[in-house]
Amino acid sequence: MYAFFTLIAGACQSAMASLNGMLSDCVGMFGMSLMVHAIGGILLILYIRLFVHEKLKLTGMPWYLYSAGFFGIFLVASSSYCISALGVSVMTCISVTGQLVISAVIDHFGWFGVPRIPFNKKRIPCFIMILAGLILVNIA
Amino acid sequence: MAFVLTLAFVNGCATVISKMINYRCTKILGTYNGSLVNYVVATVLSFVLLLFSSRFNINFYAFSDASWWMYLGGAFGIIAFLISMVTLSRLKVMESTILLLVGQLTAGILFDAFMFKNFSLLKLAGVLLVAGGIIWDNKISASAQEP
Repeated sequence: MYAFFTLIAGACQSAMASLNGMLSDCVGMFGMSLMVHAIGGILLILYIRLFVHEKLKLTGMPWYLYSAGFFGIFLVASSSYCISALGVSVMTCISVTGQLVISAVIDHFGWFGVPRIPFNKKRIPCFIMILAGLILVNIA
Repeated sequence: MAFVLTLAFVNGCATVISKMINYRCTKILGTYNGSLVNYVVATVLSFVLLLFSSRFNINFYAFSDASWWMYLGGAFGIIAFLISMVTLSRLKVMESTILLLVGQLTAGILFDAFMFKNFSLLKLAGVLLVAGGIIWDNKISASAQEP
């Protein structure tokens, strides 16, 4: 059951990305980002007030952690731009590959204070398989 | 084309860094408030960028002209966030990652085929190959972490 809901969550992410792309065509990149984050923020506040009963609190973090919002805008804007050019499925493939590569690099060098985990050479065939898939997608 | 492909790749890199930042936010403020920070800062920052990019002359008609269902993106994002929050504590990280990916790709292929009319068997084969590689990599990484 939880597995099924997680599948639905993935589908929601794709739906969000497609809808954001269309909204971006109407109101521009920053207009889209404004509406997406404002609507998401209001819904999240409602959820917290109605179901979690936690106090709203936004202060008290080191200043650089507030850059989360900057990344939010960049992710929403770049996703919708790439999807209009590549389609949802290809964009998802490349983005997830980027996630794997940067995670491996961060772990290998221990950036951002994470524990160092050297790159596991057994993963190389997987990366080759992913690369082959990406080449195939781009030929198509 | 090369620019879009690079941007898509950078998008993936930024996703990981953003997740690491968000994780630290949730450690300090709690799961929900830590995520809310992201939305509040992004809303304010987008509004400022919109003001400057439109030279203080926002076209409000464009906002009312857009169909109402286009605004559902933000709602879908929150639904995805809440579901993954609730289910993550009950599934293994690897299972959750793979299920999210499969859901994303299945819906993505359907959207591409029906809404954007952009579908081919060769592309489907490529997407499946990438998904297979990612799932395989997840299994190797997960088995390496077990003592």
